[in-house]
Amino acid sequence: MIELLNILYYYSKINCEEVITLGIIYIGDRATGKTSLALELTNPKYNYVRITNCQYQDLKDKLFRDGEIQPTAALNSLYENSLQVEVQLPAGAKNLSVNWVDTPGEVWRKSWRKDNPDNWQKLLNNIQESEGIILVLPPYREMPSLNSSVDSSLFPTKEQWCQRFQRWVNFFQFECPKAQQITICLNKADLFCNIEKEESELGYHPRHNRKGWFERHSYVKQRYFKVVQTQLDQISSATEGAPVRCFITTIHNRSLLELPWLYLASQL
Amino acid sequence: MGNLVIIGPRSSGKTTYLCALAYWPQRQAALHHQSIFDVDPIGEDSENLQKQAKNVIMPQESLQGTKVLTFSEMAQYQFQIKVKKKFSNKTELINLVVRDSAGELFDNLASGNINPDHEEIYQDFLRKDVVGCLILLGDWQKEDDEDYSASIKNFLSFLDQYDRNHDLKIALAMSKCERGELWTGRIDPYLDIFGAHLSQTRLVLEKSNFNQKNLEFFAISTFGVLARNDPRPNRRDEPGKKGKWSVLREPQKWKPYNLIAPLYWLSTGKKLGANV
Ligand SMILES: Nc1nc2c(ncn2[C@@H]2O[C@H](COP(=O)(O)OP(=O)(O)OP(=O)(O)O)[C@@H](O)[C@H]2O)c(=O)[nH]1
Ligand SMILES: Nc1nc2c(ncn2[C@@H]2O[C@H](COP(=O)(O)OP(=O)(O)O)[C@@H](O)[C@H]2O)c(=O)[nH]1
Ligand SMILES: [Mg+2]
Repeated sequence: MIELLNILYYYSKINCEEVITLGIIYIGDRATGKTSLALELTNPKYNYVRITNCQYQDLKDKLFRDGEIQPTAALNSLYENSLQVEVQLPAGAKNLSVNWVDTPGEVWRKSWRKDNPDNWQKLLNNIQESEGIILVLPPYREMPSLNSSVDSSLFPTKEQWCQRFQRWVNFFQFECPKAQQITICLNKADLFCNIEKEESELGYHPRHNRKGWFERHSYVKQRYFKVVQTQLDQISSATEGAPVRCFITTIHNRSLLELPWLYLASQL
Repeated sequence: MGNLVIIGPRSSGKTTYLCALAYWPQRQAALHHQSIFDVDPIGEDSENLQKQAKNVIMPQESLQGTKVLTFSEMAQYQFQIKVKKKFSNKTELINLVVRDSAGELFDNLASGNINPDHEEIYQDFLRKDVVGCLILLGDWQKEDDEDYSASIKNFLSFLDQYDRNHDLKIALAMSKCERGELWTGRIDPYLDIFGAHLSQTRLVLEKSNFNQKNLEFFAISTFGVLARNDPRPNRRDEPGKKGKWSVLREPQKWKPYNLIAPLYWLSTGKKLGANV
């Protein structure tokens, strides 16, 4: 895959067309918001990240039924889509052709793996070959600022959340030691923080000297990933590629939604 | 036109070094710094380095590791360096084409069990039209000294094989010297860095039949320190990456230390005073 990429990159240089082809995969448990995040990215109201080949409405029609987003069907396992993404970076626009793979949350259950060994292997290959992995996590019940209007029983307890996190660590360590770029998105930020305030802390402003990626990550890690700090370092040391990067995301704030993509586009 | 190659272990800072070189004009302008050097990156590949400096290094990230490519696939980083002569109006022009390599190439030399693809690359690296080789090292523990000396020993046998013992120049440089343990050693790297920490590596080179006139030692730091009167390193270490990965601490103050001296020596055979 990397060889292939090099060849592609080489040809794209010859043709003077700066289009880089990448595989980016969303993983995470059920109902953490993977599909919503990807769908929302195609929203025509954008800042620095624009999808040029997909219509928001078309995709929405495809994914929604009765006003509810459909759970990604597990049996055909991978929902693949090709997105043309144009990202505005400090050195100018960069065009990526992203092979976006959505995975149903169900596949992370042990029983599913047992019953579908072939599909599991296929999924695993797909993850291992991706240049970027986006892990989407839900909030946990005890988060201090969790919005009181939400039914917190929908979310795992802190203990469950930490245990689940450790299993992700093991997954990366043993199944994806060659991962180049792992980003972790703690999603549904609208439910556990003041998104306008965090936007002003973390927002991307290429013309101003605001936080760099390292500082953004440190800020998010310090505030929202405190309970798993050592596990985060464990992922970074167990994988070959770049250190893991954490974000908070929500479909209700464009700035926060775009950050992981700006990050991935500048790295890859 | 001088062809140069860069080799060295994984994550020793080779590509970051080249990015800093390509980004030199912008940094000079930003810091309002007068130097005797001007660097002109030429061509698409060098422009790419500049872009990476802007997109990745300035916004506080590390570059991705360089992939193994064949000689003909490798980017050709072309630079023109202008050196203003003191006490005269003359400028000296130096034209360079530099090739960067993946750290694997150097690391795998240590085993002595050399991958045939790598061997081919070394063969191209040692063609007669390549004038010099910059070896960039990153660590200084005892184990590192052992690995480095093993790699360099095998590199030297390639020099023998391709008959470059007498006419290739080697600049052996310690990178990331803003680190506290090394910073004071930068004035006399031969003694205080290589002598103190990498003596086996130094010895392998000195005891070989390699032409010692063509060997020189350097200390550089692509990240540098915060300011002339503030020697705190301009870097933040990545947790979990065993001190091998770091990013700029204050990108706005980015000023590399001793970036050009090794290239200048490789192309002209002349040494420069420190702090340029
Ligand atoms: N502290 C410090 N870190 C540096 C310096 N230069 C580079 N680094 C860091 O060292 C790490 C590796 O840098 P690269 O330039 O990718 O290293 P490389 O030698 O090209 O590595 P490969 O391509 O894998 O062989 C990155 O985290 C850089 O930010 C420096 O002067 N000081
Ligand atoms: N409040 C809030 N709800 C979200 C957000 N993202 C997704 N959701 C909701 O979470 C549920 C599951 O989303 P879905 O995208 O189907 O999750 P998937 O199974 O991980 O693909 C849906 O009801 C979404 O509307 C968010 O950022 N904030
Ligand atoms: Mg490199």
